[in-house]
Amino acid sequence: MPRVFITGLGFITSIGNDAARVTQSLRELRHGFELYPPFQDPAIPVKIAAPVREFAMGSTDCEDWTFPAPYVIKREILRGMAPHGVYAWCAMQQAIGDAKLSDADVSNPLTGLYAASGGSPYLMGHMLQRMHTHGVMRCSPLGIVASISGTVQFNLVAHFKIKGSSCGFASACASSSHALGFAYDDLVLGRQKRMFVVGAEDCNVDAILPFAGMRALSLQTDPNLASRPFDTARDGFVGTGGGVVLVLETEDEVMRRGVKPYCEVLGWGQSSDGHNVAISHPEGHGLKAAMENALRYTGTAPEAVDYVNAHATSTPIGDASEARALKAIFTTPAARPAISSTKSLTGHGLSLAGAMESGFCALAIRDGFMPGSAHITKLDPECEGLNIIRSTLPARPAVVLNNVSGFGGANVSLVFKQAS
Amino acid sequence: MPEAAPSHLGSNKPFVLPAKPFAPEDEASLREALKRCSPSTFEAAVQFRKTGNPEHLPAVVIGVIERFVEPDLRTKLKDADDDLRLIEDLGIDSLTMMEIVILVEDVLQMSINNDELRNLRTVGDVKTFIDCKVRGLDLPKPTKFLPIEHIAAVMPIQPPFLFLNEASFSSSGANGKYKITGQEFFLQGHFKDNPVMPASIMLEALGQLAVLFLLEGASTEPGKVISPNTIFFTGCEGVRAHRVCRPGDILTLSIKPKRMKMPLATFEGAIRVGQEKAAIAEEITMTFGFAEASSQPVLPADSAAKVNGANGTHAPTPLRAAVNA
Repeated sequence: MPRVFITGLGFITSIGNDAARVTQSLRELRHGFELYPPFQDPAIPVKIAAPVREFAMGSTDCEDWTFPAPYVIKREILRGMAPHGVYAWCAMQQAIGDAKLSDADVSNPLTGLYAASGGSPYLMGHMLQRMHTHGVMRCSPLGIVASISGTVQFNLVAHFKIKGSSCGFASACASSSHALGFAYDDLVLGRQKRMFVVGAEDCNVDAILPFAGMRALSLQTDPNLASRPFDTARDGFVGTGGGVVLVLETEDEVMRRGVKPYCEVLGWGQSSDGHNVAISHPEGHGLKAAMENALRYTGTAPEAVDYVNAHATSTPIGDASEARALKAIFTTPAARPAISSTKSLTGHGLSLAGAMESGFCALAIRDGFMPGSAHITKLDPECEGLNIIRSTLPARPAVVLNNVSGFGGANVSLVFKQAS
Repeated sequence: MPEAAPSHLGSNKPFVLPAKPFAPEDEASLREALKRCSPSTFEAAVQFRKTGNPEHLPAVVIGVIERFVEPDLRTKLKDADDDLRLIEDLGIDSLTMMEIVILVEDVLQMSINNDELRNLRTVGDVKTFIDCKVRGLDLPKPTKFLPIEHIAAVMPIQPPFLFLNEASFSSSGANGKYKITGQEFFLQGHFKDNPVMPASIMLEALGQLAVLFLLEGASTEPGKVISPNTIFFTGCEGVRAHRVCRPGDILTLSIKPKRMKMPLATFEGAIRVGQEKAAIAEEITMTFGFAEASSQPVLPADSAAKVNGANGTHAPTPLRAAVNA
């Protein structure tokens, strides 16, 4: 069975717009939170978000957008994109450069792209409003392409001339982990030899604030306290956005191209709660089963896992549920991996989360560190027995587990291993 | 949103300015809509909206097209002639064409149907189209483009004496292009070590375009078809050459019919190279005759219907985004 490796990464995130800055932020526990200007309306109780810096995407008119100088995107490409399409486009450029891929490596029948985003409620809202006020024939011809779920892969596949498999995944916060999992499967099954995996989200009023209605967002006003997974005082997640791209390749391709991978993708497992449309199973049954499946499939003993990048979003119910699932997997004294939630630094990227945190795991394995779980002052007693690290450990994890959970009770657990 | 469709939607009823006078808030929304266009575009749009005077239309339409053309191609539009092609020369795809239409509709307060857009190939087509819409005139017949293969197939004149690479027709005349390659046999001797396109051949090229117009573009009496073997040159008037044309030059040819009455057809013709006038002919006249028997059998109405039914009906494809949605 072909082995699969991560050979390239691209990051546009709240904690850095390239791998170097992201690594530094993870090591030094520098968060990306701020009092987000669009939320500072007295009628909005949510104040904090973790926006992408150096990009100004506030307008519904793509020609008003500004982004850092190295990225040049023509109007005819921009007009079909949402803000998160631009983030993903820039991350894609980085990942291609990072993996040292030629144009022919990117565009051929054996290279595909799987992506996930929640679409752009922002542009969708704008388009629908224009439709109602100006008439159905006066909407931007590309309004649909720019706003519906799937917009990321529509754009990237067309503009980067992807010829292999392409598809979008919609399991909310588990989406881009599903994308990564199924990309792995395509490589293992020999259907493709290289896959781009993309996660992206807008991060703006329309993408984040609808979560306030379900009381899922933190109402904290202090950027240093808003996102604190596993802390007793956690009160909800902080929204973020951005774009992350991973390049997955088979061993043959890694050898042929002579590149040094970040790490190996050992495999994955998934499972569903079958419980509630929006609330995690209180005992974490689904997530536990996903981890079990991942460990069994990859032949990994719980004792072999050095680090777990937890899904923990800083919501009271979700974090406790994951803590119970983790306790059910890591039962022996020898099985005591370091556990952290990097959402304590980035906030919750929704569909972006799985790809972003898998990227973090790849950086941790290559650069030899385990990022701490920031902002914990009083650990939730539910976490007793778990090794939740509050500061960054300067040690290279050999085997890493990355968890995500999405609406509908979808759970995915991915396993990464040091490349040997 | 008003429930009733505007009266001019999809028809050529005269364009009626809204009863409401042009208000300051209209000017503000016009300014917003045209914020990426040149100031002169905005000015022309304001004047049009205030007065309804169609003289302002070309400036508005060209200004809107310019706004959607990639910056490095905009110079082309600056000194554009009406033959400038939207797709080939300006890189405007069907989606951009829709953006142009939406903005023009918004700015001029008119509606344009998808079907009407299909035939707009050149800047001139667009200007004429908008002008006809606003004045309530019949839309011109769509411009018909002929590639070289088609030209060679219908013309009685053949290489190496055919001087047309491509041609297009509208109801008002024909346009063609010919690139002087330098391989033309007569350039070996015209002149010694100094190849120059003979003026007589340039006149011949105009004549060939007129022949093509008679065969493909001219409307004749119903049921009559002009025979290629009946067309001959009879005379010309007012021929003047203005520019020496050499290998590498692209001749832009245009002819317009002045009189057509069996057996004589008279055209005026002009040749340009880029923006420079190369030659004109005030009149080129040729004789023509109809084919003895129509080469295409005329089917009775019911059998024609059967043929159509057997093949399935081919509805015209309206201009659409190539969406795979």
